[in-house]
Amino acid sequence: MKTLLTLVFSGIIWTAACQTKVSGTVTNEQGEPIPFANIILVDTYDGTTSDAEGHFEFTTAETGNQVLAIKFVGYTDIFQPVVLDGKAITIQAKLYEQVSELSAVTITAGSFMASDESRRTIFRAVDIASTAGATADIAGALNTLPGTQKVGETGRLFVRGGDSNEARTFIDGMAVLDAYSPSAPNTPSRGRFLPFMFKGTSFSTGGYSAEYGQALSSALVLDSRDKAEATRTDIGILSVGGDIAHTQAWDRGSIAGKIQYTNIRPYFGLINQEIDWDVPPVSLEGIGAFRHDVGKQGMVKVYGNFTQTDYSLYQHSIDDDNLKYHYDLANRYRYINGFYKNTLSEKWMMRGGVSYTYQQNRTNIEGREINEVDKGAHVKTVFEGSLSDKVELKTGVEVINHDYSQAFDEIADPDFTLSFNEVITASFVEADLYASNKFVTRIGARAEYNTLMDQASIDPRISLAYKTGAHGQVSFAYGKFRQTANNQYARINNNLDPEKAEHFILNYQRVENNRTFRIETYYKRYNDLVKYVNDDPLDLNNAGNGYAKGVELFWRDNQSVDNLDYWVSYSYLDTERNYLDFPSASVPYFASAHNFSLVTKYFVQAVKSQLGFTYSYTSGRPYNNPNEEKFNSGTTPYYSDLSFNVAYLPTSSVIFYFSCTNLLGRDNIFGYEYSNQLNDAGQYSSRAIRQPAPRFVFLGIFITFSKNKSINQLPTL
Amino acid sequence: MKTLSLSSLIMLVLISTAQITFANDGKYMDAMQKNIKVVYTSDSIAELQQAVNTLERIAAAEKTKWEPFYYASFGYVMMSNNEKEGAKKDVYLDQAMKAMNKAKALVPNESEVVALEGFIYMMMVTVDPASRGRQYSGLALQSFGKAVELNPENPRALGLLAQMQFGMAQFFGSPATEACATNSKALEKFQSYKSENPLAPQWGKGMVENMVEKCK
Repeated sequence: MKTLLTLVFSGIIWTAACQTKVSGTVTNEQGEPIPFANIILVDTYDGTTSDAEGHFEFTTAETGNQVLAIKFVGYTDIFQPVVLDGKAITIQAKLYEQVSELSAVTITAGSFMASDESRRTIFRAVDIASTAGATADIAGALNTLPGTQKVGETGRLFVRGGDSNEARTFIDGMAVLDAYSPSAPNTPSRGRFLPFMFKGTSFSTGGYSAEYGQALSSALVLDSRDKAEATRTDIGILSVGGDIAHTQAWDRGSIAGKIQYTNIRPYFGLINQEIDWDVPPVSLEGIGAFRHDVGKQGMVKVYGNFTQTDYSLYQHSIDDDNLKYHYDLANRYRYINGFYKNTLSEKWMMRGGVSYTYQQNRTNIEGREINEVDKGAHVKTVFEGSLSDKVELKTGVEVINHDYSQAFDEIADPDFTLSFNEVITASFVEADLYASNKFVTRIGARAEYNTLMDQASIDPRISLAYKTGAHGQVSFAYGKFRQTANNQYARINNNLDPEKAEHFILNYQRVENNRTFRIETYYKRYNDLVKYVNDDPLDLNNAGNGYAKGVELFWRDNQSVDNLDYWVSYSYLDTERNYLDFPSASVPYFASAHNFSLVTKYFVQAVKSQLGFTYSYTSGRPYNNPNEEKFNSGTTPYYSDLSFNVAYLPTSSVIFYFSCTNLLGRDNIFGYEYSNQLNDAGQYSSRAIRQPAPRFVFLGIFITFSKNKSINQLPTL
Repeated sequence: MKTLSLSSLIMLVLISTAQITFANDGKYMDAMQKNIKVVYTSDSIAELQQAVNTLERIAAAEKTKWEPFYYASFGYVMMSNNEKEGAKKDVYLDQAMKAMNKAKALVPNESEVVALEGFIYMMMVTVDPASRGRQYSGLALQSFGKAVELNPENPRALGLLAQMQFGMAQFFGSPATEACATNSKALEKFQSYKSENPLAPQWGKGMVENMVEKCK
């Protein structure tokens, strides 16, 4: 009994006496002290915070085997086993900097990111919607960024001396076939997808990720919005039609639908058009979107777009204006995109999707019918995660099936159907290797097998980025890219090789205090471009080639003047190619040496309005004058445009929107068309390609009904 | 675009903490009370960081209690408020969000935690109102709405919601009737507010009283 008591007592006394002093220093890799680090004796309250010199000291009554954790924001935690037995412990803790999203360098060569979510992008999703002159068209807004060449008569994206079909659009990683609405010949088309659908946009003018293939010049990657947060109904009354949309939101998901009717006829009745319309474009568009959360961080998205557009017009002969041909187009478009993402573990996630595009163009030229059907299906699965703190990996597989046919109805003979079918199976892998927060290398490769020409290929991609200081960074990118020849050539010769391009890009970017400066230079080499053999458009090979090089500048400032946000971009382009019917290497019709844009947005609190002006300048483009001996020797006048828009918010749920392009009414000439026969004077007659009307004026009233009165359609404009 | 004037809000948050009272209950209570007082009253980043560190140590040891994470998160919001540089403000707010999410994981339906989430979004707006206003004020409103739904008696949720509504009304030049109605409801709830939890949040009354003045 006595011994037991002694034991108990001595135990108590021993414990009470056993205070262990723990002290030490916390430093980083360079040996510099880290103040404010949290020193934690795990599972107890004991611990302390390091002081300005990185020192810490505390005493604890805990005993035995314990773990000491040392933590500081931006550094990897340290766990150190300690034995607490009354003897003082000294610890020298060295913390290693973590590669973190906020402080790590990002690859910027060739890429313009716009995101609502990331707080570090220099271009935001909403910028696209509110750029004057773009009238809420994605391509229109991106045309104010460096790397693009304005080709006014098409409305499409032309990137760094590349043709518009070299720029491909992806929604949630899934391919889109033809992202533009149909338009009359030589009139600008609009993108099919409205900017408000997207929370993020990554516009790459070269050197993009191995995840994206079948694009020679540019990848436009759009991330659709997640589930809607509020139930609402939107009504838009437009000068060219109207739309109604309803969104139903619940805790874990949302469903939205929109119907839009556009009829330009009343507008064209008011404003005289260059085009001799028979039936101006009428289109009916239905959009549906479904979103649902899966598990903690997973999500399912389904999006569908069904559009039909019809119009007809008269095309007049260049030689004799009284001679005209009737041209009628019926376009049917369906796009369905299903997307799934979920986390597999703490460090890995998977995403995948299916997309299907169906487009039919039924044209009737003076009773001669042509039926063109283009179908594309895309299935993809991607795994992303980190192998360690400093290595991130992305890998995936995809299958793209592309089916195209063009049939002449009047001739039942199937020989007159031009078609092709290709199945591309691709896999890619890409690793981001961080040496530190300052230096990252991205190495990737994309392997493809294409059934059309029965070819397998591997294309490497590599990019580097290095932080030169707190605000500046240098970035370099190289990549090889391939793309199946455009429909109109692949349908003639199914055995054409893919066209190829190689990009070399060097970029410097400095972001400080809401001001951004970028300068980028690049060289791009084209190979295996489609070429006519002996000037015969029905005999094609891959003998074409070309190059493009240039320098681009970008400056954005939303700091210097209150409520004013503006950006300036300038691109210099030097390009030549020898392809199609070109007799020798020359500048293609869509390339302009100088492109300049100034975009301003000014918010006037007193009148609750946002005003925007955009000025664009494009130097003259070449055109071929068959009366001249030299090919492509003509040069059009320069293009310039000053556009204006204003959004006025009388209450929080109503918006009046007005926009007008080409305020100064400049008669921009995009090129010249020539007759294919000699006139009496022994010359080919010409006709200028002009804007359909000097200005495009748009007026809309947008009303939102929701429980939460502060919601409006501003983000959609 | 919505330039809510939140700069003075934080000061008001702090005023109402003079009458903090706690029931005294052991080591946990002791440690919590000491540090809660610091996050409520201190304007020194160093002091706040020490308190937040201690709260995080308590949180790591008391694995089932949401209050340590709640006050650590609140402490980070205060640190962000005392920091001048935008990028550093963001770092603190990210930490606040992380700690808040840990509290939320323990008690997903606690109105106070959801209200704090909205408060963090509101603070994110203040770092760059022009570009974040649209998105983050929406998120803040949504959190406040949910917090009120979870507990219609929570005076902080109502008070913060009133702040947002007031800013919105100011922006659109419309009368602040709705904001003032919400605010007087918040004041009412502050007067009747009782919690069985001795560590329940107590801040925010000053902010509501101040708006009562503006609503006159």
